[in-house]
Amino acid sequence: MMTYIVFILSVIFVVSFVGFSSKPSPIYGGLVLIVSGGVGCGIIVNFGGSFLGLMVFLIYLGGMLVVFGYTTAMATEQYPEVWVSNTTVMGVFLLGLLMEVMLVLYVLKSEEVGVVFKFSGVGDWAIYDTGDSGVFSEEIMGVAALYSYGAWVVIVTGWSLLVGVLVILEVTRGD
Amino acid sequence: MNPLIFTTILMTVLLGTMIVMMSSHWLMIWIGFEMNLLAIIPILMKKYNPRTMEASTKYFLTQATASMLLMMAIIINLMHSGQWTITKVFNPTASIIMTSALAMKLGLTPFHFWVPEVTQGISLTSGLILLTWQKLAPMSILYQISPSINLNILLTMAVLSILVGGWGGLNQTQLRKIMAYSSIAHMGWMTAVLVYNPTLTMLNMLIYIMMTLTMFMLFIHSSSTTMLSLSHTWNKTPLTTTLILITLLSMGGLPPLSGFMPKWMIIQELTKNSSIILPTLMAIMALLNLYFYMRLTYSTSLTMFPSTNNMKMKWQFETKRITLLPPLIVMSSLLLPLTPMLSILD
Repeated sequence: MMTYIVFILSVIFVVSFVGFSSKPSPIYGGLVLIVSGGVGCGIIVNFGGSFLGLMVFLIYLGGMLVVFGYTTAMATEQYPEVWVSNTTVMGVFLLGLLMEVMLVLYVLKSEEVGVVFKFSGVGDWAIYDTGDSGVFSEEIMGVAALYSYGAWVVIVTGWSLLVGVLVILEVTRGD
Repeated sequence: MNPLIFTTILMTVLLGTMIVMMSSHWLMIWIGFEMNLLAIIPILMKKYNPRTMEASTKYFLTQATASMLLMMAIIINLMHSGQWTITKVFNPTASIIMTSALAMKLGLTPFHFWVPEVTQGISLTSGLILLTWQKLAPMSILYQISPSINLNILLTMAVLSILVGGWGGLNQTQLRKIMAYSSIAHMGWMTAVLVYNPTLTMLNMLIYIMMTLTMFMLFIHSSSTTMLSLSHTWNKTPLTTTLILITLLSMGGLPPLSGFMPKWMIIQELTKNSSIILPTLMAIMALLNLYFYMRLTYSTSLTMFPSTNNMKMKWQFETKRITLLPPLIVMSSLLLPLTPMLSILD
């Protein structure tokens, strides 16, 4: 099972995306977002990026999702919608689950899957160590490169965050 | 809105488009689109009534979906080519998805449904920015990937856009919806020639932006948003009545005016590439566009449109001073003799 851990985690990832795309109330959407964030962190960690995975947990789940959860808890209604409370929501959720199950069976059974890009069965999803990562881990070098070669990206994203705050203040001001 | 914050947000819209136009890395292009989208939402929502909020929400949803499709196309391109530079899209699937995403951003058929609704729900100045500046960024990306675009998909979307832009504008009396349908039709003309000669796309974009700027500024100057209100300009500023006539005929593509230049060059380029039926169809469908421009000129400049006696004097606040209006009017009507200078656009 450990060789196919990325495949299993991706399946759980897609299932939790189906879970919030079928639009239960936001508080339950946040719940599956936590699950999908955690699973996404697991996928990144399995590729060797332990720093980035823990960053996902800390900033995304521990920062943004906590704030989202608190604001949703303040604005929620008395009987929020669950996946089984509304027929439409349950129908969409089951449809998404069904499509994912069919896709998983297709991947498991057939030798080669060629939907948009070709990969040969589940074997392509296994992580293997080429043994050629050098002295430093690749992902830490990537983070270092962001702050040296990628200074323009840092400037642009920093400016976007500042303007994001200004935009949100303007939009919610409401005259 | 606080002037400092408004300036910052407007500059961010400009910065977003600049980042899209000057980046060579697909991720930066996506970031530029998102920055542009984020910053234009409060500009669309300048007045806080439910109409503008609904229009901004619709705009945000369609453009965010288009950005997501663009990101998917970028990732498929990355998977098949292993690199992020923007020279050429290496996979047909990625190319089709990217073309659809950029068509959604531009408002080409079959993704045109948001354009009239969003343009109608926002103020005239915001509509001006929406229909002119926001078209620059997606068109520049289409220009850069033009060698690898699937011709069938793009030409289908272009011809259907010209048809929808002409046909949909026929029953409109609201000026902003008329300009929206005109924008859809012009985008169709621009993308039709993109694969054959992208320089003409840029020429059409230039002339279209000049004409649309002129039209919107004339509307802002006379504070009119409906055809009825526009038909009262003859007693307030009779000069703008004549200018509206000339600019509208130029938008319709009539010969001695500038608007004829892009249509002429596009039809010539298409016939040079041995497609005869397509430019004939496009020219015939441009007649639909011309019809509703002429209806506007008929009610505005050519006749004194019937109104009750108490409506004869148009009441508005003091006339706004519009910068750059005279040069724009001159450029959008008299540029046709400069057609040989087209060679500098290469």
